[in-house]
Amino acid sequence: MLQLLQQISTRASGWVELRYHVRCSKRIAVRNGRLEESSTLRLAGIGVRALIDGVFGFSSTTDISEKGIEQAVSEAQSAARVSAVAKRDKIAPLPHMVLASGEFAFQTDDPLDGHSLAEKLELVMRIDERVRSAAKKIVSSSVAYSELQDEKVIVTSDGAAAHIIDSKPDFRVLAVAQQDGDRAMGTDSAGVTGGYADLFAMRTPEEMTDKAVRLAVDQLGADYAAGEVATVVLDPGLVGVLSHEAIGHTVEADLVRGGAITSGKIGTQVGSNLVTLCDSGPSTHMPHAAGELLVDDEGVRTGRTVIIDHGILRSYLHNRESAAYFGVEPTGNARAFEYSDEPIIRMRNTYIEPGISSVEEIIAGVKRGYYLQGLGGGGQADSNAEFMFGVREAYEIVDGKIGKMVRGVTISGNAFEVLKSVDAVGNDFTWGLGAGHCGKGQLAKVDAGGPHLRCIVTIGGRQE
Amino acid sequence: MNSKLIDLCQDTLDRTKQKGADEVEVYGESVRTITVAIEKNDLQVSRAQKETMIGVRAMCEKRIGFASTNDLTTIDETCADAVTLAKASPTDENNVLPQREENKYVSGIYDPASEGFGIEQAIEQAVRMLDIASSIDKRLILGDGEFAVHIGTRALINSNGVSWAEPESLFVYYALATARDGEEVSNMDYQFDATRRADAIDVEPITRRACENALGSLGAQKGESFNGQVMLSPNAAQSLFASLILFQSNAKNVLRGMSRWKDMLGNAVASDLISVVDDGRLANGVGTSSFDREGVAHKRLNLIEGGRLTSFMHNTYTATALGMENTGHAAGSARSVPGIGPSNFEILPGDRSKNELIAEIDKGVLVTRFSGRADPVSGDFSGVAKGGYLIENGHVSRPIRGTLIAGNAFDALKTLSGVSREQERVFSLTLPYLRLERISVTAG
Repeated sequence: MLQLLQQISTRASGWVELRYHVRCSKRIAVRNGRLEESSTLRLAGIGVRALIDGVFGFSSTTDISEKGIEQAVSEAQSAARVSAVAKRDKIAPLPHMVLASGEFAFQTDDPLDGHSLAEKLELVMRIDERVRSAAKKIVSSSVAYSELQDEKVIVTSDGAAAHIIDSKPDFRVLAVAQQDGDRAMGTDSAGVTGGYADLFAMRTPEEMTDKAVRLAVDQLGADYAAGEVATVVLDPGLVGVLSHEAIGHTVEADLVRGGAITSGKIGTQVGSNLVTLCDSGPSTHMPHAAGELLVDDEGVRTGRTVIIDHGILRSYLHNRESAAYFGVEPTGNARAFEYSDEPIIRMRNTYIEPGISSVEEIIAGVKRGYYLQGLGGGGQADSNAEFMFGVREAYEIVDGKIGKMVRGVTISGNAFEVLKSVDAVGNDFTWGLGAGHCGKGQLAKVDAGGPHLRCIVTIGGRQE
Repeated sequence: MNSKLIDLCQDTLDRTKQKGADEVEVYGESVRTITVAIEKNDLQVSRAQKETMIGVRAMCEKRIGFASTNDLTTIDETCADAVTLAKASPTDENNVLPQREENKYVSGIYDPASEGFGIEQAIEQAVRMLDIASSIDKRLILGDGEFAVHIGTRALINSNGVSWAEPESLFVYYALATARDGEEVSNMDYQFDATRRADAIDVEPITRRACENALGSLGAQKGESFNGQVMLSPNAAQSLFASLILFQSNAKNVLRGMSRWKDMLGNAVASDLISVVDDGRLANGVGTSSFDREGVAHKRLNLIEGGRLTSFMHNTYTATALGMENTGHAAGSARSVPGIGPSNFEILPGDRSKNELIAEIDKGVLVTRFSGRADPVSGDFSGVAKGGYLIENGHVSRPIRGTLIAGNAFDALKTLSGVSREQERVFSLTLPYLRLERISVTAG
């Protein structure tokens, strides 16, 4: 396939990018003892980008014969040619650079295909049963396993020739508890780049079950938090959510040009000098990050991009086009989820670098506040960095000690104001966002995390 | 194209039977898509795509497996995968396929004129969206937007003799606007619309609405904290209530024990001002089609009448498991097993205007977009009122920012005090403005 794509790209007039992508995905989902899904999906095709008169055109096809691919190339070229008549902003030719060439494969000692579908099905059924038998108050359960196995060949007219092998499984557990008409949900999940054993390296399926059950049961009868501005300690999961959702999207160069709040702020203080925030293709600090990406979908080798360095905004996240526009090197953030998606700027593994404080010290320094763990029930953030997240697990802190659980907590604010309020950063590190996907028109597997940190946010509770 | 796709489905069905399945369903989708994207006040990438996807459900003694592919050279492996998965799965007596019934096709979902709609015409519409925005105000940024054309065929056959094939066309467009004035960035506003017919395309209303909402939120100041009335736009009503109602009335969630309304058929679940229907055969509806994901004919269904829950939405599995009538709500693509979903969902309009409802509010908040979470299990919602306005003495007084609203959606649905005459389409949903009571409002 590599050779065929190289021949076609050589023959094509102008710049083209050919990306062959075969994905085999599997999914098993069980709820309340019922098997809701056991399925496989095979997606194969080629996505083509052409650059003509300073404008990209894209086409995709499932016909991977030489003739079919050439047809797709000519469709991408005509889409570009027609758009070029109306498009105001033209792209300069992409700057020359050394693109990825060779084999790039994820690492594992325990490949997913070494475990049969029957084994994975048995695990999901067994864990679902375990959730429901864990406590009398549990009234509903849901467990799902899914995996993506990808093979890609990326060829461009200007030298990319990469063969990429990737593997990303994830696992989720959900428990619903009920008592006297009151209901609460508890969840736990894991997602990695790697093999079967890597998925359960942090917590076994049983430990994830116990966590989800405990969260659901403990929330019953817990009080709701009051609405107020409060000092909080965020766990690595929430630090990841803040880094990815509230900060990360505002530094995606396409959104910066679309008017995001970080526009024109490079070199300025945007957070406390304790904060260094990065987005990395390889897994840093801890292996198997779910957003691991060795080569991006434009054929650019990835590395660690420092977005905020000790409080100073240093870099946006770029593809080749935006890097040329801003006059910097591409950061390897161009990603396409499926063969039929064109590469757009996406995050990979977004995190805050560990600091020097122990978690105990950080909590001990709070006179009155909250210890908040994990994303619960979703959230949202805008390009002006205003965010709102649901919190999965929340405890009061009184005089430096963790107190009783509170429920229904949301946090909100402006993410950069929150970063400025950071006065302690932990010396720990965990990835916490591996399961599920980030959506931006198309999906992407990402991860995010960091250490614990202390800051000030608005707590949304119930105003009586 | 119809007959070619159905032949492919038939061939797939035969092969799956040969591999040992005793019941088989094959769903095929063949789609041509043109997409023109808008980004930061300019055209972005234009795309041309073509794909045929085949999804196979195989059953072996009431055990089920599903496999799908877009690689027509791997049909044989796909049939084998489905049978292998079925044999590894547990038996479930409720795994049945629908029986054959008379095929009654709807009209109006396919416009032959769409076949001639090419990339040039799509680009023309996207350019029009850009021109409208720039003519309104120079501070506006269409940060994101899209004009898309989907033309395709769906086909479904099963081993009980069910056999359907239907072409359709759909034009979908949306605009996402922000306004930037010096250092200040407004809230983002997002609006969309869709139509089946090439001559009914009109990108102006949604572009204008997104732009005006973005501009209107400039100069927003801190709001006030109180417990009181909140007016939801159709967009906000979608986030807070449409998803909630769809979750509770989804028979899959009834079966899962997750629906709060599982024992509420015939009982009041909402204010008597609320009536909800889902009509899969609605003339010119965006969600209209003749048959559902399992080949059951679509029909009009009353979900809530005057506040009383009248039906759940079922597919064959849930109808069989719960012993109720199948409502033809199997949903999803050829990539996955049939789920349950709405077609054209509508909260019926009230008899008073939006302004009459606002005129009765002494102090309240108008929410044009809700950004936050609404827990479908507990009903607790909490989030930021985006593009929020303070209402004082019966009038919309000023834009507010960072204001949190919180409450319980089940309670709010029962105690709400107003449903507007005006409705707006939020993709395939048609919704009015809703006036809520006793909502917690916190200044951010």
